[in-house]
Amino acid sequence: MAEKPTKTIVVTRFDPDVDEVPKTQEYTIPVEDDWKVLDALNYIKDEVDPSLSHRWSCRMAVCGSCGMTVNGEPKLTCKQSLADYGDRVEIAPLANFPVVRDLVVELEGFMDKFKKVKPWIVEAKEAAVVEGTNRQSHEELMDFKQFSMCINCMLCYSACPVVSNEPDFLGPAAIALGHRYNQDNRDHGDAERNEIFREDGGVFSCSYANECAEVCPKGVDPSGAIQQAKLNNVVDWAKGFVVPRGK
Amino acid sequence: MSELRARVDAMRPATPGPTRTADPQPPANFPTKGNYFGYIAFGLGSSLMLLVSMNIVRTLWALMEGEAAFRALMESFKHPAYVAFHALCFAWLVWVALRFFSLFPKTQPFRIGPFQRPADGVLVAGLYGIFVVATLVVAAILTGAIL
Repeated sequence: MAEKPTKTIVVTRFDPDVDEVPKTQEYTIPVEDDWKVLDALNYIKDEVDPSLSHRWSCRMAVCGSCGMTVNGEPKLTCKQSLADYGDRVEIAPLANFPVVRDLVVELEGFMDKFKKVKPWIVEAKEAAVVEGTNRQSHEELMDFKQFSMCINCMLCYSACPVVSNEPDFLGPAAIALGHRYNQDNRDHGDAERNEIFREDGGVFSCSYANECAEVCPKGVDPSGAIQQAKLNNVVDWAKGFVVPRGK
Repeated sequence: MSELRARVDAMRPATPGPTRTADPQPPANFPTKGNYFGYIAFGLGSSLMLLVSMNIVRTLWALMEGEAAFRALMESFKHPAYVAFHALCFAWLVWVALRFFSLFPKTQPFRIGPFQRPADGVLVAGLYGIFVVATLVVAAILTGAIL
């Protein structure tokens, strides 16, 4: 039987009990043609070095757990073919996030920002049963559907230069999700969210590098959502001069 | 590891977890990749705007001091350093305008009233058309061809 081809996987390692700063470790492993990058990591974990820590779950680009930096680019490792890279593949944790261990990053900072934009339907009042159900036409759904495809993989945060430099910035995915609910005709929370969007670190902190839209594995355009939210907020702010608040 | 650093508090949780964490790294290709270069250039433009604003204040000051002072200031603008500075400002302004054109379609909602948003190319072509016509009109006025 022919010998399997091999690749050298260079993995960033960090043990908070031992290491001052992250270091790299190389593993040369046999690979299959149809492997994704995640398969290589799982092979290392299962067959070579069980101490390696990385996150993954669904293996089908839905759960958003396995985002990592592959050869300098944020990628969903279960979606990215290993064959797209040469004999040496460098895998690091997502940029812009504190590293808990090896390839595992701290998510709580993201969750703090996420909750801030109220990513749920805010109802102005409890509707009576006789008023019927909330109806939504296909056109109304299409106003925001694209932004609801986000899987919270955080690749956009990893690619964003503003996240690097402005810790208060809400960030691409959280703003896109807030905007998604603002565009939803069943929601009445846009005034509350727009107040948050206009604060320091809100939509106006974005200077449109557009890298978030380019790295998104689900084809969501967070930078588009942010620019639309900027326009909505300017209009909302200007309307405040002529229309009493709350109208 | 990159020599550049992200802010150490980037994406830090409000309440630190029990485990010591390594500092966040900036994006690997920062700032050499095209999109990041645009981010840097746009940010640095604020310095140009500050210098231009100071020049505008200086011009208004000269106007207050009378015609001689104003003419002397205009004469000083012919210095090669000033010409180069204004050329740089003009280039930056054109770049920002073109960047805005490419961004503009994204600012529009998918539906404008009952109508679908026109194709991005149509919106961008419209903006370029307005830009070219406005430039020609201003150039014609400045050269005395009209008015």
